[in-house]
Amino acid sequence: MSRKGVGLAAFDRSRITSAQYASHGSSLRSSDAAALETQLAVFRSLLQQFAQTHAKDIRSNPSFRAQFARMCAAIGVDPLAASSTREGGGSIWAQLLGRSVNDFYFELAVKVVEVCSDTREENGGLIEVRKVRESILQSRMEGAPDITEDDILRAVGTLKPLGSSYSVIKVGSKPYIRSVPKELNTDQSAVLEAVQVLGYVSVSMLMVNLKWTRARAQTALEDLISEGMLWVDKQSVEWEYWSPGFMLTAQDPVQLG
Amino acid sequence: MSNPGPFPFPREYSFPPFFTRQTNLTTHHAQLVKWSTLVLSYCRHHRLFKLSLTPSSTSSSSSPEPGADELFHNRKLDRRLNTADIREVIDFMRKDGRAEYVGGKETGDVAWVYWRTPEEWAGLVEEWVDATGQKGTVLTLYELTEGDATLNAEFHGLDTELLQKALGILVKRGKAQIFGQEDSQGVKFF
Repeated sequence: MSRKGVGLAAFDRSRITSAQYASHGSSLRSSDAAALETQLAVFRSLLQQFAQTHAKDIRSNPSFRAQFARMCAAIGVDPLAASSTREGGGSIWAQLLGRSVNDFYFELAVKVVEVCSDTREENGGLIEVRKVRESILQSRMEGAPDITEDDILRAVGTLKPLGSSYSVIKVGSKPYIRSVPKELNTDQSAVLEAVQVLGYVSVSMLMVNLKWTRARAQTALEDLISEGMLWVDKQSVEWEYWSPGFMLTAQDPVQLG
Repeated sequence: MSNPGPFPFPREYSFPPFFTRQTNLTTHHAQLVKWSTLVLSYCRHHRLFKLSLTPSSTSSSSSPEPGADELFHNRKLDRRLNTADIREVIDFMRKDGRAEYVGGKETGDVAWVYWRTPEEWAGLVEEWVDATGQKGTVLTLYELTEGDATLNAEFHGLDTELLQKALGILVKRGKAQIFGQEDSQGVKFF
């Protein structure tokens, strides 16, 4: 059917076809964009609806909250992305989620900061997440919704945009919140990990279990004392170096002897 | 007075290093704050107005009387705060106006523990006099602390010497006047 035109008219024809292609392309694009926009709008309103209907559950039910957070992560949504420079108007998700999720974590973050600064003098700014949770739960009224360690970790995450020194580090297998910007060297981490077992260590325990020399064990312990991260008990046969975390434990500390 | 029962010791009391003076300055400060809070709440619980700081020789009994012997010696852990460290706690409390050596000296073997300061006791007495409309009447010191009329007042059973300190403050402010001899003193409120 199509045949190559000859003569000058062929040039005109090809110009027209390419113009037609272009216009068709752009109409396709715009209809695609419109469709996407509708989808996004639907998704947005559904998510909003969901967050609104379940706001209470999100705030009060820790496992529901965890599920919600996981769902958001799966679809590539960060419910806590607080400041978005592109939108200009604060977090799109903050608007979508009716602030309930955001506020929950921000309020929790304030409590985490309180616990950390209240105990900083006694623990040198390093506290186990479990202890933070315990003391937050303790200070709350009867019947207040439960919170999980996972919530606390997320709450610490919300502090990042503030350029804060709060971070989560792992000592052994346990997460700690560090509220003083200091790095632990490997020996110090090893000691803190060993302390988790009984609540305390001594020089000879470190020498036996980690195969360290006396000087090395002594140095690591003294470093941690000078960071305020260990307390010393000189009334035992051999000096014992205790983790201040054991002061906050609900149950009695490990019985001696 | 009814027996208040055993004092619920805080968690740090079961923490062995709590009884050793901490070498790190910051940690030591945290330790002093905790001890000071503990001393105050312990004394408030047992309504002790002063503490004798030197260990008594009869500390062998398994259930000691409420006092410094019980407070500074955790028998379960076999840990005790030594006298020098106790003095450091008291000195720390003195800076806050929450303790004072008896006789107003720089040191001593007995210390007042002010879970209520003399000013606060004075305020309580003044409030009570006001509330019961006894301005202008003369009350004996015995009536104030031991009389039936003050049974429900917080200063009922207050140490006599401490009461006198408190009343002394009211006298200075021109709110009271003290008469009489040593053991039969009376006070008139304005």
